Amino acid sequence: MRRIIGITLLILLIAVPMVFAGGDKEAAEEQKSVRVAEQVPGLITPGVWDGQAFSMNSSIYEYLVDINAETGELDPVLATSWKTREDGKVWEFKLRQGVTFHDGTDFTAEDVKFTIERTQDPGLGHLKKADFEVVASVETPDDYTVVVNLEEARPTFIYQMTDYNMAILSSSYDYAALGESRPMGTGPFKMQQMIPKESAALERNENYWDPNLPHLDRILIYFVADIDASVSMLEDDRVDIVPFITPNIKNRLDEIDGISVISPYQEQRFIAMAVDQEPFDDNRVRLAMKYAMDPEIIARSVAQMELGDGAYYNETPIMNALAEYKEIPHRGRDIERAKELLAEAGYPNGLSVDLTYASDHPFGRELAQTVQELAAPAGFDIRLRGYTRDVYLSQYWLNVPFSITGWGGRIDPSMLLALAFKGGGSWNETHMDEPVINDLIDKIASEVDPDQRTMYYHELQEWFHENGALLNVQVPYLVAINDSIVDYRQPLTMLPQYKYMDIK
Amino acid sequence: MNRTLSIVVRRLGSLVATLVVMSFIIFLLVEIMPGDVAQMILGQSATPEAVASLREARGLDDPLMQRYGRWVSGVVVGDLGESIYMQGVAINSILWRRVGHSVLLAMTAFIMFVPLSIFFGVLAGVKENKLSDSIISFFGLATMALPEFVSGVILITVFAVQLQWLPIVSVIPIGESIWQNLSILFLPALSITFVMFGYISRMQRSSMITVMNSDYVRAAILKGMPRKYVIFKHALKNALLPTITIIGMNMGWLFGGLIVVETLFGFPGMGSLLMTAIKTRDVPLIEACVLLITAIYALSTMITDIMYSYLNPRIRFQGGQR
Repeated sequence: MRRIIGITLLILLIAVPMVFAGGDKEAAEEQKSVRVAEQVPGLITPGVWDGQAFSMNSSIYEYLVDINAETGELDPVLATSWKTREDGKVWEFKLRQGVTFHDGTDFTAEDVKFTIERTQDPGLGHLKKADFEVVASVETPDDYTVVVNLEEARPTFIYQMTDYNMAILSSSYDYAALGESRPMGTGPFKMQQMIPKESAALERNENYWDPNLPHLDRILIYFVADIDASVSMLEDDRVDIVPFITPNIKNRLDEIDGISVISPYQEQRFIAMAVDQEPFDDNRVRLAMKYAMDPEIIARSVAQMELGDGAYYNETPIMNALAEYKEIPHRGRDIERAKELLAEAGYPNGLSVDLTYASDHPFGRELAQTVQELAAPAGFDIRLRGYTRDVYLSQYWLNVPFSITGWGGRIDPSMLLALAFKGGGSWNETHMDEPVINDLIDKIASEVDPDQRTMYYHELQEWFHENGALLNVQVPYLVAINDSIVDYRQPLTMLPQYKYMDIK
Repeated sequence: MNRTLSIVVRRLGSLVATLVVMSFIIFLLVEIMPGDVAQMILGQSATPEAVASLREARGLDDPLMQRYGRWVSGVVVGDLGESIYMQGVAINSILWRRVGHSVLLAMTAFIMFVPLSIFFGVLAGVKENKLSDSIISFFGLATMALPEFVSGVILITVFAVQLQWLPIVSVIPIGESIWQNLSILFLPALSITFVMFGYISRMQRSSMITVMNSDYVRAAILKGMPRKYVIFKHALKNALLPTITIIGMNMGWLFGGLIVVETLFGFPGMGSLLMTAIKTRDVPLIEACVLLITAIYALSTMITDIMYSYLNPRIRFQGGQR
């Protein structure tokens, strides 16, 4: 009897996995589908969108203009043309005709007016509120013309319209009630089904204004909290695209046939030194820190890449990918010089300082440790203070003498300069309030002549190199994709353009 | 029968009391969690103004007791509120789907590990100190010593990567239901079985040994009853008591606490939902999940007690368990 039970159990043990395995099936689909594994999104309604679930939102919503991923130029989308009068104080947009929202309503100038005016809605907490306070009024002379009047000249105002929170919304749709569960725009794909915190299925928008796009029939998005689980899905051929992977995962995936890792753009990590707190209130201490840094070591240990090949280092707020960037040769690591500077500043025996950073933010911990190691020989005793990102941002950021913060790249850095490096700016982490820089930032914002503007940018960068309170490390944004996917485009706006994507 | 009924009623009463106390503790714990949910939602580009207006809109600035009252009055009528992120989406519509998946996973694991570990536990107990006992005990200790994230990785490597019998991750393809994808249950359930097997089979073995050495069993064997009859009719029922307690005590974990296993396999159950909720400081969702897990723990303990008193008349007649 016992033997019979034993044998039965043994058979069961072997047979059950086989039965289960038999349930695995491959649905033969004619449709072209791309599958993506992304982080679980927070808020997704444009305006308060926290910048997750890019594949979903960028496919559902559209903007007046897009950045061309190859040329970096502006591409017309919902606006077909634009011009500016009075040196950038008045902006006129001609809108595309015959565009409909996914709910069937027509896209008109009213919707653009609604989207811009919505930034100032006091109950919303719109993330672009500060940037659009410069708007005095929005006029709609006819259904397909929008005139935006500004308080002051802003020759680069158009770039504000490429920000991911400035997706054009329908003035007749109830985004307060439906924005999180049924996102709706004019984009190339529309929401078919969403299971909160689990997945979203998008289908091709048959009424899309460009009859040749999109190439895909469906985008299937899995929201996966754990990046390792996402990568497993990629390896198991359950998804085709996984964004936001780390250099360690990249190294592993590089070994696997059929999967490539690309870096469409770079992000920035600002290592900020507060100029009104010890010890960085003395520029010699800031210079000593700069002399202790080694860009090549930073690139290798933080991004596991070579300098200039996916990672970069400079001492100004401007990314090297931008036209405004001025290449200033690195000063070279010089520990003796750093020690001298520290001694001159009154720290002959070195000094101790806390470095505060978000430990769960990509590259945060690696960068903090690298800076700690590099600065130690010069006499900096750096104590690392890592916190989760929300704690870091709400309790420490903007208040501590030495910090690391992540910054997305911006096509037009003028607004970033005003918010982060001008006296009184709301994200002024270095607490700089230099008349010469304040003046340059104002000139950059209002200068009409692009060449003159670039001159101002160069002047600003030279000043930063010698006097600034910033180390800027560019780190790669990495996406793992299956080799069967062609034409993955994602410019510096961070918005992937799935409408161009196709399957081999 | 009346005694059993009174035990049930009394246990139900204390269950409700436990839940009330726990609801308050859960609320307080989530309250003192570091980090700010409004900041979390809006991310780095949030201005203090944006954070303030979001706090206002979500009622996060109201006094603690007012928020607790609002939450509890909803819970009582079955309304768990809305996720702080998904405005317009009731937690009920997110949570129960996940609970369903978790229950299915728990049942699969239960069906796998309970008969298996009891059977091998009894076998080891009856064959005390023989070869089969040593093998079973060694295997039990080995699997028990491995945390589930280690055994899970081993199982994935063997069954999914090498043999390719089963999927590496336990996700449900978009547009399909879990019933079309039952194969995703097997590996997570097996890694739970690994954890539970050693635990339960060892418990079963030692209680079996105790019972087999007791006077009444020896008497039964000596008076010439067939050994099988003695083992299954006399010994097993008594030897099962401690095992049932252990299984019961683990039911709460099994039905709601599989955070590590679900996250490792990417399984869309309640554990991974709770993980997401904690990571994103989704307060109402954390509260709903934890309260539900508490209820499952309390309920499974209660059922264990009742079963125990059914199996052990001494408890029934003493009027309550000690």
